[in-house]
Amino acid sequence: MAPTSQNSTAFDAGRQYLGTVYAKALLGAAEKAGTTDAVLEELDSLVTDVIDKLPNLDAALASPRIGHDEKVRLLDRAFQGRMSKQLLNFLKVVSSHGRLDCLRAINRAARRLYNQMRNRVEVKIRTTEPVDGQLAEEIADRLRTVLRSDVELKMDVDPELIGGMVIRIGDTVYDGSVVDRLRRLRAETIEKMAQEFRQSLARFAIAE
Amino acid sequence: MKFNADEIASVIQQEIEQYEDRLDVREVGTVLEVGDGIARCYGLSGVMAGEMVEFPSGVTGMAFNLEENSIGVIILGDYLQINEGDEVKATGKLLSVPVGDAVIGRVLDPLGKPLDGKGPVASTERRPVEVIAAGVAERQPVCEPRQTGIKAVDAMTPIGRGQRELIIGDRKTGKTAIALDAIINQRESGVKCFYVAIGQKDSSVAAVVKVLEDHGAMDYTTVIVSGASSPAPLQYVAPYAGTSMAEYFMWKGEHALVVYDDLSKQAVAYRQLSLLVRRPPGREAFPGDVFYCHSRLLERSSKLSEALGGGSITSLPIIETLEGEVSAYIPTNVISITDGQIYLQPDLFFKGIRPAMNVGISVSRVGGAAQIKAMKKVAGGMRLDLASFRELEAFAQLGTDLDAATQSRLDRGYRMVELLKQPQYKPMHVVDQVLSIYAATRGFLDDVPVTKVREWETAFLQFIHDRKSQLWAAIAEKKDLNDELTKAVNEALAEFKKGHSTASKPAATLAKV
Repeated sequence: MAPTSQNSTAFDAGRQYLGTVYAKALLGAAEKAGTTDAVLEELDSLVTDVIDKLPNLDAALASPRIGHDEKVRLLDRAFQGRMSKQLLNFLKVVSSHGRLDCLRAINRAARRLYNQMRNRVEVKIRTTEPVDGQLAEEIADRLRTVLRSDVELKMDVDPELIGGMVIRIGDTVYDGSVVDRLRRLRAETIEKMAQEFRQSLARFAIAE
Repeated sequence: MKFNADEIASVIQQEIEQYEDRLDVREVGTVLEVGDGIARCYGLSGVMAGEMVEFPSGVTGMAFNLEENSIGVIILGDYLQINEGDEVKATGKLLSVPVGDAVIGRVLDPLGKPLDGKGPVASTERRPVEVIAAGVAERQPVCEPRQTGIKAVDAMTPIGRGQRELIIGDRKTGKTAIALDAIINQRESGVKCFYVAIGQKDSSVAAVVKVLEDHGAMDYTTVIVSGASSPAPLQYVAPYAGTSMAEYFMWKGEHALVVYDDLSKQAVAYRQLSLLVRRPPGREAFPGDVFYCHSRLLERSSKLSEALGGGSITSLPIIETLEGEVSAYIPTNVISITDGQIYLQPDLFFKGIRPAMNVGISVSRVGGAAQIKAMKKVAGGMRLDLASFRELEAFAQLGTDLDAATQSRLDRGYRMVELLKQPQYKPMHVVDQVLSIYAATRGFLDDVPVTKVREWETAFLQFIHDRKSQLWAAIAEKKDLNDELTKAVNEALAEFKKGHSTASKPAATLAKV
């Protein structure tokens, strides 16, 4: 069970929903204090730099066998003074509801909600080779004018594309990759070939 | 045969030259979990209910449940090739099947893929599987008969073009046989037939296809198969797919006959899907909309108005009951949807009365409108007579002495029952039926021993075909028995009875004739 849950594509839709609820609360509190950016950055760092790298800590936080008081002590010892008070308090609240296993979902939901709040769209771009600064800037500019909102680019390298670029905005994918074009060309050619065969098989036969 | 590689290369080259490059824009999501023919997907935020989605393995699915956090997709194919984390693509299309003349004579799966090894279905047209049925203004009342070739059915529960007549009964009571006879009888009428096999053993389906082939019925029949081993989504979709193929002909002004064999299995498949996507169970654990599942299917059988070409779909849904329990959930539902039912009873079947139709509770709500005039005249009160005969028969078994009138009613009843027996795959022409039933109801059979009734009938019809073919043709043309024709039939019967001695040695008499 454990290794599959590390997979970024595999997550629990129910947990994601819970995460959205907590993320909304966290954002509300941070917004009021005016420290949203800092808090979100800390949360992201907590998830990617600490929890992802220390599976034991992850397991301890998620475990229902460790009581709330114990978890609070653990959080205090580990993060007191190294983390903004707001985030630490938030973690304690989450702990009191026994939802520390949802931290990844909370982080994901918080980023999404924050982008929504700032009218920013997350765009995932896949290319065969790393895109350098200037080209990335051009792509971002172009997307900004098309989408009429700020964009947050997430670059990814995937040599299997052969060439071109795949852009994903939300659930919509704009596929301009060579591999996709080849795939479609293949399907269409097979279809056409089958059609020709059906129409006249004799045409393809060598006269004997 | 050897192939010419250059020619093949030239086609491919042409295709590459003509290849139109478009940017592929698609709506995607990810598979969260998969199993039991269901995939739960995340994302696909713009997908609509009933929309087709595509998995990377090429398998298609249908968005079945739209929930707040995820989408329940029913997988129309092999779900073992789908993995957690796979990208699901929305296609923006509804599920559709190939239609047209190319599907006739084929054995297909519910997605229109061939199962008979006769190559791809060469059809350019497709129709969506789920279609809203024709509305009130687009229809006309059922008015033309759809002969099944079975005496008992055509005389007592006539079926009209555009009617839905349920065939209901326990297992092994001859339900499929009635439907197959009806299909075989359409040979001359130019009606396109569709046999939808749902959740059946593949061996039974193979047997059905064999029977249809042997009787030359595959020339105008399509068999749509989703056997017991195919996934529940395909079993659920099969009847809708078959109806779509039939609708193509209906909207062209032609006539079609669809047999759903059987809808109880489809209801079970639908129950499985619904429970797996966690829709709440109702009576017998069926979902709340199982009635709608059948009503929207059967509503698509209709008789279109003359302005729309007057085409029709007649349907013969089949329901299997358990221990004769017609008051179970699905049987009552389908009985209330259809325009009548043919109820088959095991005890009649084992008594040798085949088709084992219980005339008391079999009805056709369209009635006389679906009969030719001649049949209406001869078979008018037959159903009630036979039903009262069955009651009388039960009473007479007590062994009391009967008065002459009662005894004669009983005698006629025994002969009637005997006459209505009919061997399988031997549909009769409606004129033959009219003549036989005329003879029985007018008392011409009263002096024939019960055991000789069928022999007598065969000989009589042979006599009519050999000697009185003009009379036969006149009835076939007029479709009515006016005074003149009635007189001629009476004369023919008298003449036949003179030459045909029923007391003994019928074979010798036949030779004399």
